Amino acid sequence: MKRIVIITFCLISLEIGLPAIRQEKQHFYNVDKEIKVEGTIEKIIMEPRYKDTAPFLIVALKEKKTQHLYQVEVSPVWFFDYDFHQGESLVITGSLYQTGENRFNLIAREIQFKGELFTLRDKHGFPNWRGGKSLQKKRGKGKGRGKGIRF
Amino acid sequence: MKRFISFMLLAVILISPLGADTFSLSLNQNLASNLFQNRYEEGDQISTLSFYLDKNLNKFSIYTEGGYSYLHENPNLTYYVQDAGIDFIHPISTKSALYFAAAGRAAFYRTDYSDFNYTSVNFLAAFKSYLHPTSIFKSNYTLEFKNYKSSYYDFISHALTVSLDKYFPSKTTLKGEIDWGYKNFIHPYIYEEALPEEGSHPGMGKGRGKGSFGKGLNQNLVNTQSEAQAIQVFSISGLAAQGLGNQVGINFSGTRQWVISGQNPFSFIEEFYAVENPSYDRFSWEGYQIGSQLTLLLPWYIQLNMGYTRSYKSFPGIETFDLEGNSLGIKRKDTKNQIEVTMAKDFPRFSILLAYYYINNISNDLYFDWNGHFFSIGIEWNISLGANR
Repeated sequence: MKRIVIITFCLISLEIGLPAIRQEKQHFYNVDKEIKVEGTIEKIIMEPRYKDTAPFLIVALKEKKTQHLYQVEVSPVWFFDYDFHQGESLVITGSLYQTGENRFNLIAREIQFKGELFTLRDKHGFPNWRGGKSLQKKRGKGKGRGKGIRF
Repeated sequence: MKRFISFMLLAVILISPLGADTFSLSLNQNLASNLFQNRYEEGDQISTLSFYLDKNLNKFSIYTEGGYSYLHENPNLTYYVQDAGIDFIHPISTKSALYFAAAGRAAFYRTDYSDFNYTSVNFLAAFKSYLHPTSIFKSNYTLEFKNYKSSYYDFISHALTVSLDKYFPSKTTLKGEIDWGYKNFIHPYIYEEALPEEGSHPGMGKGRGKGSFGKGLNQNLVNTQSEAQAIQVFSISGLAAQGLGNQVGINFSGTRQWVISGQNPFSFIEEFYAVENPSYDRFSWEGYQIGSQLTLLLPWYIQLNMGYTRSYKSFPGIETFDLEGNSLGIKRKDTKNQIEVTMAKDFPRFSILLAYYYINNISNDLYFDWNGHFFSIGIEWNISLGANR
Protein backbone atom coordinates (compact mmCIF):
# COMPACT_ATOMS: atom_id res chain seq x y z
CA MET A 1 0.00 0.00 0.00
CA LYS A 2 2.79 2.42 0.96
CA ARG A 3 4.60 1.71 -2.31
CA ILE A 4 1.46 2.42 -4.29
CA VAL A 5 1.00 5.72 -2.46
CA ILE A 6 4.64 6.75 -2.92
CA ILE A 7 4.58 5.81 -6.63
CA THR A 8 1.34 7.77 -7.05
CA PHE A 9 2.89 10.86 -5.43
CA CYS A 10 5.94 10.60 -7.66
CA LEU A 11 3.83 10.21 -10.80
CA ILE A 12 1.66 13.17 -9.90
CA SER A 13 4.68 15.30 -9.04
CA LEU A 14 6.28 14.29 -12.35
CA GLU A 15 3.11 15.14 -14.20
CA ILE A 16 3.04 18.57 -12.56
CA GLY A 17 6.62 19.13 -13.56
CA LEU A 18 6.10 18.49 -17.23
CA PRO A 19 6.30 21.55 -19.45
CA ALA A 20 3.01 23.33 -19.73
CA ILE A 21 0.88 22.57 -22.72
CA ARG A 22 0.67 25.98 -24.31
CA GLN A 23 -2.79 27.07 -25.20
CA GLU A 24 -4.00 29.22 -27.98
CA LYS A 25 -4.59 32.55 -26.21
CA GLN A 26 -7.74 34.35 -27.11
CA HIS A 27 -7.13 37.13 -24.63
CA PHE A 28 -4.88 37.64 -21.65
CA TYR A 29 -4.61 39.66 -18.47
CA ASN A 30 -3.45 43.11 -19.50
CA VAL A 31 -2.33 44.98 -16.37
CA ASP A 32 -2.55 48.32 -18.20
CA LYS A 33 -6.29 47.84 -18.60
CA GLU A 34 -7.08 47.09 -14.97
CA ILE A 35 -10.24 48.69 -13.58
CA LYS A 36 -12.47 48.37 -10.52
CA VAL A 37 -16.19 47.81 -10.92
CA GLU A 38 -18.91 47.71 -8.27
CA GLY A 39 -22.19 46.18 -9.28
CA THR A 40 -24.96 43.67 -8.88
CA ILE A 41 -25.02 40.11 -10.19
CA GLU A 42 -27.45 39.67 -13.06
CA LYS A 43 -26.59 36.16 -14.17
CA ILE A 44 -24.29 33.24 -13.28
CA ILE A 45 -23.23 30.61 -15.80
CA MET A 46 -20.52 28.02 -16.54
CA GLU A 47 -18.94 28.62 -19.93
CA PRO A 48 -15.86 27.36 -21.82
CA ARG A 49 -13.35 30.17 -22.21
CA TYR A 50 -10.05 28.59 -23.18
CA LYS A 51 -9.25 25.63 -25.34
CA ASP A 52 -8.57 22.44 -23.38
CA THR A 53 -9.38 23.90 -19.97
CA ALA A 54 -12.27 23.41 -17.61
CA PRO A 55 -15.19 25.80 -18.18
CA PHE A 56 -15.12 29.04 -16.22
CA LEU A 57 -17.57 30.56 -13.80
CA ILE A 58 -18.85 33.67 -15.58
CA VAL A 59 -20.74 36.36 -13.68
CA ALA A 60 -22.75 39.02 -15.52
CA LEU A 61 -22.34 42.14 -13.37
CA LYS A 62 -24.33 45.34 -13.84
CA GLU A 63 -22.22 48.31 -12.77
CA LYS A 64 -23.92 50.63 -10.26
CA LYS A 65 -22.69 53.91 -11.78
CA THR A 66 -22.98 53.32 -15.51
CA GLN A 67 -25.41 50.40 -15.73
CA HIS A 68 -22.93 48.75 -18.11
CA LEU A 69 -23.08 44.99 -18.14
CA TYR A 70 -19.73 43.24 -17.63
CA GLN A 71 -19.08 39.57 -18.31
CA VAL A 72 -16.70 38.72 -15.47
CA GLU A 73 -14.47 35.71 -15.90
CA VAL A 74 -13.81 34.26 -12.44
CA SER A 75 -12.21 30.78 -12.44
CA PRO A 76 -13.18 27.16 -13.09
CA VAL A 77 -13.21 25.94 -9.48
CA TRP A 78 -15.19 28.86 -8.12
CA PHE A 79 -18.37 27.44 -9.52
CA PHE A 80 -18.18 24.86 -6.76
CA ASP A 81 -16.36 26.85 -4.11
CA TYR A 82 -18.61 29.86 -3.74
CA ASP A 83 -22.32 30.40 -3.96
CA PHE A 84 -23.16 33.60 -5.80
CA HIS A 85 -26.79 34.54 -6.35
CA GLN A 86 -28.56 36.93 -8.64
CA GLY A 87 -28.96 40.29 -6.89
CA GLU A 88 -25.84 40.03 -4.72
CA SER A 89 -23.35 42.88 -4.75
CA LEU A 90 -19.67 42.48 -5.73
CA VAL A 91 -16.65 44.71 -6.20
CA ILE A 92 -14.34 43.34 -8.89
CA THR A 93 -10.83 44.44 -9.78
CA GLY A 94 -9.82 43.05 -13.14
CA SER A 95 -8.51 43.52 -16.64
CA LEU A 96 -10.93 44.93 -19.19
CA TYR A 97 -11.25 43.80 -22.78
CA GLN A 98 -14.01 44.45 -25.28
CA THR A 99 -15.39 41.99 -27.79
CA GLY A 100 -17.78 44.45 -29.40
CA GLU A 101 -18.92 48.02 -29.06
CA ASN A 102 -21.00 47.35 -25.99
CA ARG A 103 -19.58 44.04 -24.84
CA PHE A 104 -17.43 44.60 -21.78
CA ASN A 105 -15.46 41.70 -20.38
CA LEU A 106 -13.42 41.55 -17.20
CA ILE A 107 -10.83 38.99 -16.16
CA ALA A 108 -11.20 39.12 -12.39
CA ARG A 109 -8.14 39.52 -10.18
CA GLU A 110 -9.76 40.43 -6.85
CA ILE A 111 -13.30 40.07 -5.59
CA GLN A 112 -14.82 41.83 -2.56
CA PHE A 113 -17.85 39.99 -1.30
CA LYS A 114 -19.65 40.15 2.05
CA GLY A 115 -16.63 41.48 3.94
CA GLU A 116 -14.11 39.15 2.36
CA LEU A 117 -11.43 39.81 -0.22
CA PHE A 118 -10.56 36.98 -2.60
CA THR A 119 -7.40 37.20 -4.65
CA LEU A 120 -7.71 35.15 -7.82
CA ARG A 121 -4.61 36.36 -9.63
CA ASP A 122 -1.40 38.11 -8.68
CA LYS A 123 -0.59 41.70 -9.71
CA HIS A 124 0.68 40.46 -13.07
CA GLY A 125 -2.45 38.47 -13.80
CA PHE A 126 -1.08 35.00 -13.14
CA PRO A 127 -3.85 32.79 -11.76
CA ASN A 128 -3.44 31.60 -8.21
CA TRP A 129 -6.72 29.91 -7.62
CA ARG A 130 -6.34 26.34 -6.61
CA GLY A 131 -7.99 23.37 -8.08
CA GLY A 132 -7.89 19.93 -6.64
CA LYS A 133 -8.75 19.82 -3.02
CA SER A 134 -11.04 22.80 -2.94
CA LEU A 135 -14.06 20.77 -1.96
CA GLN A 136 -12.31 18.06 -0.06
CA LYS A 137 -10.82 20.23 2.56
CA LYS A 138 -11.78 23.83 3.04
CA ARG A 139 -8.49 25.49 3.67
CA GLY A 140 -9.35 29.11 3.69
CA LYS A 141 -10.51 31.05 0.75
CA GLY A 142 -9.20 32.56 -2.40
CA LYS A 143 -5.68 31.32 -2.47
CA GLY A 144 -6.21 28.63 0.05
CA ARG A 145 -4.35 29.91 3.04
CA GLY A 146 -1.51 27.78 4.35
CA LYS A 147 -1.26 25.83 7.49
CA GLY A 148 -2.72 28.16 10.02
CA ILE A 149 -4.36 25.58 12.22
CA ARG A 150 -8.08 25.97 12.63
CA PHE A 151 -10.50 24.22 14.89
CA MET B 1 12.42 16.63 8.21
CA LYS B 2 14.40 14.42 5.82
CA ARG B 3 11.17 13.41 4.11
CA PHE B 4 10.10 17.02 3.80
CA ILE B 5 13.44 18.04 2.28
CA SER B 6 13.35 15.07 -0.11
CA PHE B 7 9.85 15.89 -1.35
CA MET B 8 10.67 19.60 -1.58
CA LEU B 9 13.82 18.95 -3.60
CA LEU B 10 11.94 16.57 -5.87
CA ALA B 11 9.22 19.18 -6.38
CA VAL B 12 11.66 22.03 -7.06
CA ILE B 13 13.61 19.94 -9.59
CA LEU B 14 10.43 18.92 -11.34
CA ILE B 15 8.91 22.39 -11.55
CA SER B 16 12.04 23.91 -13.04
CA PRO B 17 10.72 23.60 -16.63
CA LEU B 18 7.95 26.01 -15.48
CA GLY B 19 5.48 23.21 -15.65
CA ALA B 20 3.44 23.92 -12.54
CA ASP B 21 0.88 26.72 -12.51
CA THR B 22 1.14 27.60 -8.84
CA PHE B 23 3.86 27.05 -6.28
CA SER B 24 3.60 28.25 -2.72
CA LEU B 25 5.59 27.93 0.41
CA SER B 26 4.27 28.70 3.86
CA LEU B 27 5.62 28.93 7.35
CA ASN B 28 3.37 28.93 10.40
CA GLN B 29 4.13 29.26 14.05
CA ASN B 30 1.47 28.04 16.47
CA LEU B 31 1.39 28.45 20.21
CA ALA B 32 -0.95 26.32 22.31
CA SER B 33 -1.43 26.69 26.05
CA ASN B 34 -3.09 23.26 26.20
CA LEU B 35 -1.81 20.96 23.49
CA PHE B 36 -3.52 17.79 24.75
CA GLN B 37 -6.74 19.57 25.62
CA ASN B 38 -7.24 18.17 29.11
CA ARG B 39 -7.31 19.53 32.64
CA TYR B 40 -3.52 19.21 33.05
CA GLU B 41 -2.55 22.05 30.75
CA GLU B 42 0.63 21.53 28.82
CA GLY B 43 1.79 24.19 26.42
CA ASP B 44 3.73 23.69 23.24
CA GLN B 45 4.84 25.45 20.10
CA ILE B 46 4.35 23.96 16.66
CA SER B 47 6.32 25.15 13.65
CA THR B 48 4.94 24.08 10.30
CA LEU B 49 6.70 24.40 6.97
CA SER B 50 4.72 23.40 3.92
CA PHE B 51 4.74 23.60 0.16
CA TYR B 52 2.02 23.33 -2.43
CA LEU B 53 2.03 23.11 -6.20
CA ASP B 54 -0.58 22.46 -8.79
CA LYS B 55 -1.06 22.17 -12.50
CA ASN B 56 -4.02 22.39 -14.82
CA LEU B 57 -3.94 19.79 -17.56
CA ASN B 58 -6.78 20.10 -20.00
CA LYS B 59 -9.91 19.76 -17.89
CA PHE B 60 -8.05 18.18 -14.98
CA SER B 61 -6.31 19.87 -12.13
CA ILE B 62 -3.63 18.05 -10.16
CA TYR B 63 -1.85 19.10 -7.01
CA THR B 64 0.60 17.92 -4.42
CA GLU B 65 1.30 19.35 -1.01
CA GLY B 66 3.63 18.49 1.84
CA GLY B 67 3.80 19.79 5.40
CA TYR B 68 6.32 19.20 8.17
CA SER B 69 5.23 20.08 11.71
CA TYR B 70 7.72 20.22 14.56
CA LEU B 71 6.55 20.23 18.18
CA HIS B 72 9.11 21.98 20.34
CA GLU B 73 8.17 20.49 23.73
CA ASN B 74 7.03 17.11 22.41
CA PRO B 75 9.41 16.44 19.50
CA ASN B 76 8.42 12.77 19.44
CA LEU B 77 5.01 13.84 18.15
CA THR B 78 6.51 15.66 15.16
CA TYR B 79 4.93 14.67 11.86
CA TYR B 80 5.00 14.96 8.10
CA VAL B 81 1.91 14.84 5.90
CA GLN B 82 1.95 14.47 2.12
CA ASP B 83 -1.14 14.96 -0.07
CA ALA B 84 -1.69 14.52 -3.78
CA GLY B 85 -4.86 14.62 -5.83
CA ILE B 86 -6.61 15.16 -9.08
CA ASP B 87 -9.98 16.70 -9.92
CA PHE B 88 -12.25 17.29 -12.85
CA ILE B 89 -15.21 19.59 -13.53
CA HIS B 90 -17.80 18.53 -16.03
CA PRO B 91 -20.57 21.00 -16.94
CA ILE B 92 -23.97 19.49 -17.62
CA SER B 93 -25.45 22.79 -18.70
CA THR B 94 -24.67 26.48 -18.16
CA LYS B 95 -26.31 26.22 -14.74
CA SER B 96 -25.29 22.75 -13.54
CA ALA B 97 -22.02 20.90 -13.19
CA LEU B 98 -20.46 17.78 -11.79
CA TYR B 99 -17.20 17.72 -9.90
CA PHE B 100 -15.06 14.64 -9.25
CA ALA B 101 -11.93 14.46 -7.14
CA ALA B 102 -9.59 11.73 -5.98
CA ALA B 103 -6.87 12.28 -3.43
CA GLY B 104 -4.31 10.35 -1.45
CA ARG B 105 -2.61 11.20 1.79
CA ALA B 106 0.21 9.74 3.85
CA ALA B 107 1.00 10.83 7.40
CA PHE B 108 4.19 9.89 9.22
CA TYR B 109 4.64 10.57 12.91
CA ARG B 110 7.70 10.16 15.05
CA THR B 111 8.06 7.47 17.70
CA ASP B 112 5.36 8.40 20.21
CA TYR B 113 2.62 8.46 17.65
CA SER B 114 3.91 6.10 14.98
CA ASP B 115 1.05 3.63 15.51
CA PHE B 116 -1.14 6.32 13.96
CA ASN B 117 0.89 6.60 10.76
CA TYR B 118 -1.57 6.16 7.96
CA THR B 119 -2.28 6.27 4.28
CA SER B 120 -5.69 7.30 3.03
CA VAL B 121 -7.62 7.53 -0.19
CA ASN B 122 -10.57 9.87 -0.77
CA PHE B 123 -13.04 10.12 -3.56
CA LEU B 124 -15.54 12.94 -3.96
CA ALA B 125 -18.40 13.43 -6.36
CA ALA B 126 -20.41 16.64 -6.25
CA PHE B 127 -23.29 18.14 -8.14
CA LYS B 128 -24.32 21.79 -8.13
CA SER B 129 -27.21 23.37 -9.93
CA TYR B 130 -28.95 26.75 -10.02
CA LEU B 131 -32.61 25.82 -9.67
CA HIS B 132 -33.28 29.54 -9.94
CA PRO B 133 -30.78 32.43 -10.21
CA THR B 134 -31.34 32.99 -6.49
CA SER B 135 -31.44 29.37 -5.35
CA ILE B 136 -28.74 26.69 -5.41
CA PHE B 137 -29.05 22.95 -4.95
CA LYS B 138 -25.94 20.99 -4.03
CA SER B 139 -25.19 17.36 -3.36
CA ASN B 140 -21.90 15.70 -2.37
CA TYR B 141 -20.80 12.14 -1.86
CA THR B 142 -17.50 11.37 -0.13
CA LEU B 143 -15.75 8.05 0.25
CA GLU B 144 -12.76 7.72 2.54
CA PHE B 145 -10.51 4.79 3.29
CA LYS B 146 -7.87 5.05 5.98
CA ASN B 147 -5.21 2.47 6.60
CA TYR B 148 -3.31 2.90 9.88
CA LYS B 149 -0.11 1.24 10.94
CA SER B 150 -2.07 -0.06 13.90
CA SER B 151 -4.91 -1.71 12.01
CA TYR B 152 -7.42 -1.35 14.87
CA TYR B 153 -8.28 2.06 13.50
CA ASP B 154 -8.66 1.21 9.81
CA PHE B 155 -11.97 2.32 8.44
CA ILE B 156 -13.98 3.07 5.36
CA SER B 157 -16.60 5.82 5.47
CA HIS B 158 -19.30 7.20 3.23
CA ALA B 159 -20.96 10.59 3.55
CA LEU B 160 -23.79 12.14 1.62
CA THR B 161 -24.77 15.82 1.86
CA VAL B 162 -27.70 17.59 0.26
CA SER B 163 -28.30 21.34 0.58
CA LEU B 164 -30.56 24.02 -0.76
CA ASP B 165 -30.26 27.76 -0.36
CA LYS B 166 -32.21 30.87 -1.28
CA TYR B 167 -31.12 34.50 -1.56
CA PHE B 168 -33.67 37.20 -0.78
CA PRO B 169 -33.76 40.86 -1.91
CA SER B 170 -33.15 41.87 1.73
CA LYS B 171 -29.59 40.53 1.12
CA THR B 172 -30.34 37.57 3.36
CA THR B 173 -29.36 34.03 2.41
CA LEU B 174 -31.03 31.06 4.05
CA LYS B 175 -29.60 27.59 3.68
CA GLY B 176 -30.67 24.14 4.84
CA GLU B 177 -28.54 21.01 4.75
CA ILE B 178 -28.99 17.31 5.47
CA ASP B 179 -26.03 15.00 6.07
CA TRP B 180 -25.76 11.28 6.43
CA GLY B 181 -22.59 9.40 7.26
CA TYR B 182 -21.56 5.79 7.73
CA LYS B 183 -18.22 4.69 9.13
CA ASN B 184 -17.18 1.07 9.25
CA PHE B 185 -14.16 -0.08 11.22
CA ILE B 186 -12.80 -2.75 8.95
CA HIS B 187 -10.90 -4.99 11.30
CA PRO B 188 -12.54 -6.97 14.04
CA TYR B 189 -11.53 -5.79 17.45
CA ILE B 190 -9.44 -7.97 19.61
CA TYR B 191 -10.29 -7.44 23.21
CA GLU B 192 -7.62 -5.39 24.78
CA GLU B 193 -8.39 -4.23 28.25
CA ALA B 194 -7.98 -0.57 28.88
CA LEU B 195 -5.38 -0.64 31.57
CA PRO B 196 -4.93 2.72 33.17
CA GLU B 197 -2.33 2.91 35.82
CA GLU B 198 -3.97 2.28 39.08
CA GLY B 199 -5.35 5.44 40.53
CA SER B 200 -5.24 7.37 37.28
CA HIS B 201 -7.71 8.35 34.61
CA PRO B 202 -7.53 6.09 31.51
CA GLY B 203 -6.98 9.18 29.40
CA MET B 204 -3.58 9.49 31.00
CA GLY B 205 -2.70 6.06 29.63
CA LYS B 206 0.23 3.89 30.31
CA GLY B 207 3.40 5.76 30.78
CA ARG B 208 1.68 9.11 30.81
CA GLY B 209 2.33 11.24 33.72
CA LYS B 210 0.19 14.08 34.84
CA GLY B 211 -0.30 16.21 31.83
CA SER B 212 2.57 14.77 29.86
CA PHE B 213 2.60 12.63 26.79
CA GLY B 214 4.28 9.29 27.23
CA LYS B 215 4.60 6.20 25.09
CA GLY B 216 2.00 4.77 22.75
CA LEU B 217 -1.56 5.97 22.88
CA ASN B 218 -3.22 3.05 21.24
CA GLN B 219 -2.67 0.60 24.04
CA ASN B 220 -5.76 1.73 25.87
CA LEU B 221 -7.99 2.84 23.07
CA VAL B 222 -9.53 -0.41 22.03
CA ASN B 223 -12.84 -1.57 23.36
CA THR B 224 -14.29 -5.08 23.38
CA GLN B 225 -15.68 -6.09 20.05
CA SER B 226 -15.76 -9.41 18.27
CA GLU B 227 -16.58 -8.13 14.83
CA ALA B 228 -16.32 -5.05 12.68
CA GLN B 229 -18.42 -2.19 13.89
CA ALA B 230 -20.14 0.61 12.09
CA ILE B 231 -21.38 4.01 13.23
CA GLN B 232 -24.11 5.83 11.39
CA VAL B 233 -24.89 9.52 11.89
CA PHE B 234 -27.48 11.89 10.55
CA SER B 235 -27.59 15.66 10.87
CA ILE B 236 -29.55 18.70 9.83
CA SER B 237 -28.05 22.16 9.59
CA GLY B 238 -29.30 25.65 8.96
CA LEU B 239 -27.56 28.90 8.13
CA ALA B 240 -28.72 32.49 7.85
CA ALA B 241 -26.28 34.97 6.30
CA GLN B 242 -26.74 38.69 5.97
CA GLY B 243 -24.64 40.90 3.72
CA LEU B 244 -24.18 44.51 4.88
CA GLY B 245 -22.58 46.03 1.80
CA ASN B 246 -19.38 44.60 0.38
CA GLN B 247 -17.41 45.29 3.56
CA VAL B 248 -19.38 43.37 6.16
CA GLY B 249 -20.92 39.92 6.36
CA ILE B 250 -22.58 38.17 9.26
CA ASN B 251 -23.98 34.70 9.64
CA PHE B 252 -25.65 32.44 12.18
CA SER B 253 -25.60 28.67 11.90
CA GLY B 254 -26.79 25.62 13.78
CA THR B 255 -26.41 21.85 13.49
CA ARG B 256 -28.18 18.98 15.20
CA GLN B 257 -26.62 15.55 14.86
CA TRP B 258 -27.83 12.11 15.89
CA VAL B 259 -25.97 8.81 16.05
CA ILE B 260 -28.59 6.52 14.58
CA SER B 261 -26.71 3.23 14.98
CA GLY B 262 -23.49 1.98 16.52
CA GLN B 263 -21.23 3.64 19.03
CA ASN B 264 -17.61 4.60 19.58
CA PRO B 265 -15.37 1.56 19.95
CA PHE B 266 -12.81 3.39 22.05
CA SER B 267 -12.28 3.56 25.77
CA PHE B 268 -12.06 7.31 25.64
CA ILE B 269 -11.99 10.09 23.10
CA GLU B 270 -9.51 12.90 22.94
CA GLU B 271 -8.55 15.69 20.62
CA PHE B 272 -5.14 17.30 20.42
CA TYR B 273 -4.39 20.69 19.02
CA ALA B 274 -2.91 20.35 15.52
CA VAL B 275 -2.25 16.62 15.86
CA GLU B 276 -4.89 14.36 14.39
CA ASN B 277 -6.29 11.73 16.72
CA PRO B 278 -8.20 8.77 15.25
CA SER B 279 -10.58 8.54 18.21
CA TYR B 280 -12.30 11.82 17.32
CA ASP B 281 -14.06 12.84 14.13
CA ARG B 282 -17.54 13.81 12.90
CA PHE B 283 -18.80 10.30 13.72
CA SER B 284 -17.86 10.43 17.39
CA TRP B 285 -20.65 12.54 18.77
CA GLU B 286 -24.27 13.49 18.83
CA GLY B 287 -25.75 16.77 19.98
CA TYR B 288 -25.87 20.26 18.62
CA GLN B 289 -23.67 23.15 17.65
CA ILE B 290 -24.57 26.80 17.14
CA GLY B 291 -22.37 29.60 15.96
CA SER B 292 -22.14 33.10 14.61
CA GLN B 293 -19.50 34.82 12.57
CA LEU B 294 -18.75 38.42 11.62
CA THR B 295 -16.51 39.16 8.64
CA LEU B 296 -15.13 42.65 8.05
CA LEU B 297 -12.98 44.12 5.33
CA LEU B 298 -10.95 46.81 7.07
CA PRO B 299 -8.90 49.65 5.56
CA TRP B 300 -5.81 48.48 3.62
CA TYR B 301 -7.82 45.38 2.70
CA ILE B 302 -7.21 43.68 6.01
CA GLN B 303 -9.72 40.90 6.54
CA LEU B 304 -11.01 40.42 10.06
CA ASN B 305 -13.11 37.49 11.12
CA MET B 306 -14.67 37.05 14.56
CA GLY B 307 -16.70 34.06 15.58
CA TYR B 308 -18.33 32.33 18.51
CA THR B 309 -19.34 28.67 18.60
CA ARG B 310 -21.09 26.72 21.31
CA SER B 311 -21.51 22.98 21.10
CA TYR B 312 -23.13 20.37 23.26
CA LYS B 313 -21.87 16.89 22.47
CA SER B 314 -22.36 13.47 23.99
CA PHE B 315 -20.23 10.51 22.97
CA PRO B 316 -22.12 7.20 22.58
CA GLY B 317 -20.17 4.27 24.01
CA ILE B 318 -17.81 6.48 26.00
CA GLU B 319 -17.97 6.25 29.77
CA THR B 320 -16.87 8.91 32.19
CA PHE B 321 -14.27 8.29 34.85
CA ASP B 322 -13.21 10.16 37.92
CA LEU B 323 -9.63 11.32 38.21
CA GLU B 324 -8.72 8.12 40.06
CA GLY B 325 -9.86 6.02 37.10
CA ASN B 326 -13.14 4.76 38.57
CA SER B 327 -15.97 4.47 36.12
CA LEU B 328 -18.92 6.71 36.93
CA GLY B 329 -21.26 4.64 34.75
CA ILE B 330 -22.56 7.55 32.73
CA LYS B 331 -22.03 8.70 29.18
CA ARG B 332 -19.53 11.47 28.58
CA LYS B 333 -21.04 14.86 27.76
CA ASP B 334 -19.16 18.03 26.85
CA THR B 335 -20.22 21.64 26.44
CA LYS B 336 -17.68 23.65 24.52
CA ASN B 337 -17.48 27.42 24.02
CA GLN B 338 -15.10 28.76 21.42
CA ILE B 339 -14.16 32.31 20.51
CA GLU B 340 -12.01 32.99 17.47
CA VAL B 341 -10.47 36.04 15.86
CA THR B 342 -8.51 35.83 12.63
CA MET B 343 -6.88 38.52 10.52
CA ALA B 344 -5.41 38.20 7.06
CA LYS B 345 -3.64 40.53 4.71
CA ASP B 346 -2.61 39.77 1.14
CA PHE B 347 0.47 41.43 -0.33
CA PRO B 348 1.47 41.10 -3.98
CA ARG B 349 3.76 38.15 -3.37
CA PHE B 350 2.78 36.86 0.02
CA SER B 351 0.00 36.71 2.60
CA ILE B 352 0.03 37.01 6.37
CA LEU B 353 -2.44 35.33 8.67
CA LEU B 354 -2.95 35.86 12.41
CA ALA B 355 -5.34 33.81 14.48
CA TYR B 356 -6.40 33.51 18.11
CA TYR B 357 -8.77 31.00 19.68
CA TYR B 358 -10.01 30.62 23.21
CA ILE B 359 -11.77 27.41 24.12
CA ASN B 360 -13.52 26.44 27.30
CA ASN B 361 -14.68 22.81 27.51
CA ILE B 362 -16.98 21.75 30.34
CA SER B 363 -17.22 17.98 30.67
CA ASN B 364 -18.78 15.54 33.11
CA ASP B 365 -15.47 13.69 32.82
CA LEU B 366 -13.19 15.98 34.84
CA TYR B 367 -10.10 14.91 32.93
CA PHE B 368 -11.59 16.59 29.86
CA ASP B 369 -12.70 19.71 31.69
CA TRP B 370 -10.28 22.24 30.27
CA ASN B 371 -9.64 25.58 28.67
CA GLY B 372 -6.90 26.90 26.45
CA HIS B 373 -5.54 29.76 24.40
CA PHE B 374 -4.21 29.15 20.91
CA PHE B 375 -2.27 31.60 18.75
CA SER B 376 -1.13 31.21 15.19
CA ILE B 377 0.88 33.39 12.85
CA GLY B 378 1.66 32.42 9.30
CA ILE B 379 3.21 33.70 6.13
CA GLU B 380 2.65 32.25 2.71
CA TRP B 381 4.57 33.00 -0.47
CA ASN B 382 2.77 32.46 -3.74
CA ILE B 383 4.64 32.06 -6.98
CA SER B 384 2.55 31.75 -10.12
CA LEU B 385 4.29 29.91 -12.91
CA GLY B 386 1.57 29.31 -15.47
CA ALA B 387 0.41 31.38 -18.41
CA ASN B 388 -1.32 34.69 -17.51
CA ARG B 389 -4.32 33.87 -19.61
